[in-house]
Amino acid sequence: MSTTVLEPRAGRTRDVLSSHVVRLLRMREIQLLVAIGIVVAVTTAAHPTFVAPGNISFMLADAAATAILAMGQTVVVLAKGIDLSVAPILGIAAVLVAFPAQDLNLPIVVGLAIVLGVGLVLGAANGVLVSIARIPPIIATLATLSVYGGLQFILAKGEEISNIPNSYAALGNDDIVSGVPWVLLIVVALAGAVTFFLRHTNTGRSIYAIGNDAAAAHRSGIPVQRVTFIAYTLCGVLAGIGGLIYLCHVGSVDSTTGTADNINLTSIAATLIGGTALTGGRGGVAGSVLGAIFLSVALTAMVFALIPAIWEPAGVGALMLLAMLFDRRSAVRSPSRTRRPRRAP
Amino acid sequence: MTTTLPTPPAPAPGPAPVAAPSSTRRPRGDIGRRDRNWIVSLVVLAVAEIAYFSFSVSGFFGGGSGLLALTEQFVDIGTIALGLAVVVLAGEIDLSVGTMSSFSGIFMAVLWQSDHLDIWIAVVVALVASSLIGLANGLIITLFKVDSLLVTLAMQFILGSVATALSGASPPYGFPTSFVRIAGTGTIGPVPYQLIVFAVLAVGIGLFVSRSRTGRAVTLIGYNRPAARWSGIRVDRTVVGAFMVSAFMAAVSGILVSGYYNAARDDLGDSLLLPAVTIVVLGGVDIFGGRGRIGGVIVATFVLGYLTEGLLLRGDSSLTATMVTGILLIACLILKFQIDRRNGDDPFAVLRARLARVGRSHGRADL
Repeated sequence: MSTTVLEPRAGRTRDVLSSHVVRLLRMREIQLLVAIGIVVAVTTAAHPTFVAPGNISFMLADAAATAILAMGQTVVVLAKGIDLSVAPILGIAAVLVAFPAQDLNLPIVVGLAIVLGVGLVLGAANGVLVSIARIPPIIATLATLSVYGGLQFILAKGEEISNIPNSYAALGNDDIVSGVPWVLLIVVALAGAVTFFLRHTNTGRSIYAIGNDAAAAHRSGIPVQRVTFIAYTLCGVLAGIGGLIYLCHVGSVDSTTGTADNINLTSIAATLIGGTALTGGRGGVAGSVLGAIFLSVALTAMVFALIPAIWEPAGVGALMLLAMLFDRRSAVRSPSRTRRPRRAP
Repeated sequence: MTTTLPTPPAPAPGPAPVAAPSSTRRPRGDIGRRDRNWIVSLVVLAVAEIAYFSFSVSGFFGGGSGLLALTEQFVDIGTIALGLAVVVLAGEIDLSVGTMSSFSGIFMAVLWQSDHLDIWIAVVVALVASSLIGLANGLIITLFKVDSLLVTLAMQFILGSVATALSGASPPYGFPTSFVRIAGTGTIGPVPYQLIVFAVLAVGIGLFVSRSRTGRAVTLIGYNRPAARWSGIRVDRTVVGAFMVSAFMAAVSGILVSGYYNAARDDLGDSLLLPAVTIVVLGGVDIFGGRGRIGGVIVATFVLGYLTEGLLLRGDSSLTATMVTGILLIACLILKFQIDRRNGDDPFAVLRARLARVGRSHGRADL
């Protein structure tokens, strides 16, 4: 909240300190933290229960699945792609764990192995279509959205599975300390791992390079096909993990879970609000996680403001438009992109 | 209804010029002929699946009138696809068409029921309102220079909420008979009115894209935006127009859907968008713009429509039908790209061309 004071001052003075502040304020992550702070402050002023530990924990846990999916989406978008099939990957992973969990009381570790496998296979299939068959990503993943959606329906046998063992529900809903759910720890750990991958490994750096200029990346010896394939596979794996977290948090799954929750588009929205450019090569997963949390907080605030739930999608849409206009570089179609120095890694 | 632009000049045949052209392989056959062949293959595919389902599923053929009656199930999606094709030809995309369709149907119904407007006036108002939303889409995209994928994605969310809010707990139903007959389930002889509406719109859009000055400009913008600008085309204005066409067609589709169910539906967003995009791509329109024919989109409507309806009549679930659709799309695209590659569109040339074009934002990670 103090930042509302800082902004005008930062615009006037030119000393070193304020230039640091300006730079910080230009970072999407900081902007999002400020935005989250404002939403929380305004809503708390009207409804003090908004910052009750139970509600904070709920908002964070609710954002977890979206955040994990948004991480995968970010990796793909950084490579100038898009993945519209994360929702059914989440659904299939959740369904395949839910059945044995309900019938055999499957340990979560085995469940994790299952979702990793599912994500790996389905993500790799996307990767093959995009990198080897060279189908435009939006079309390839649109097609696999249909295919995986049908597969999920067949696997779920039209049932709703809701007798999930308590251990799952505990992971998805319990707190470490009051107000901080366990899933937040998982999200932060995953975000750290993916950030390390993107910034400090050859493959990760190559993803940024491909997103910036695929032809230049190719000429500088980056195996573009292989890296693209890895990006889609990683996105699939993260979507699979998202499925497990979703199952733990929500506690039930059926044949349209994921797709019916609009989670495809919400994950894209979180990615974009998080400052990752659809033009590729700029952004990171930290922003996407904050984007998911911001969406969750803003939508919960709408509930507190007694706005009917049907306006939730409109809220997401309006926030997307705002984020776009706020930082147009994340969305602008810029022919001179290569001339502008990149800020992100 | 050809809309393909001439290919860049091929390397001269005969004694090889020493200044080697960038592509060593000479393109065999022009793109126009390949696109024609693609459409012919689609027609063959449509005939084959109609024959297959006619023999294997009872009630599919129905003495020919069954076939015609089935078209009522999918011409609404075809209508959306026609409008979407125009936007895609311009190198943009419109993801808001699904909920736009729901919105126009609901808006019309609410005007008729709550505001007691004559149903036909309500139809006109809904069409105009939707076109204005298309105008807003186009203006945001061109004025702020943001990616159409994002803007229309956001618009899709917003319109979905608006449609649900307008419809309330019990969506309006029970429209006047005259409306239901023309926009819904009425027929002239064995031919459904809806099919006639679709035919008229298809011919209209086809002529617009292939024969009108603006329509050709749309395709050129998708093919090479700077070239379009340098040749004096008002690019932004034309792109806005394309979004209005797409919104208008989606609105028409929403009214057809309302007429068919004799009730306004607010829950059709995604179930219309995905097949519409599939039809556009299956019809041979390049998702990056600048290449494609409306004829292909029309044929693809029937290929996809009869396939879905045949599977549903056979007793498969709608999700199985969607899955088969997805597989068909992948198979067709792999085939199409293979054909293009074999004909000498070497990936480097394609990539260079794409990178040279302004406005590539939902581009594929190429190479």
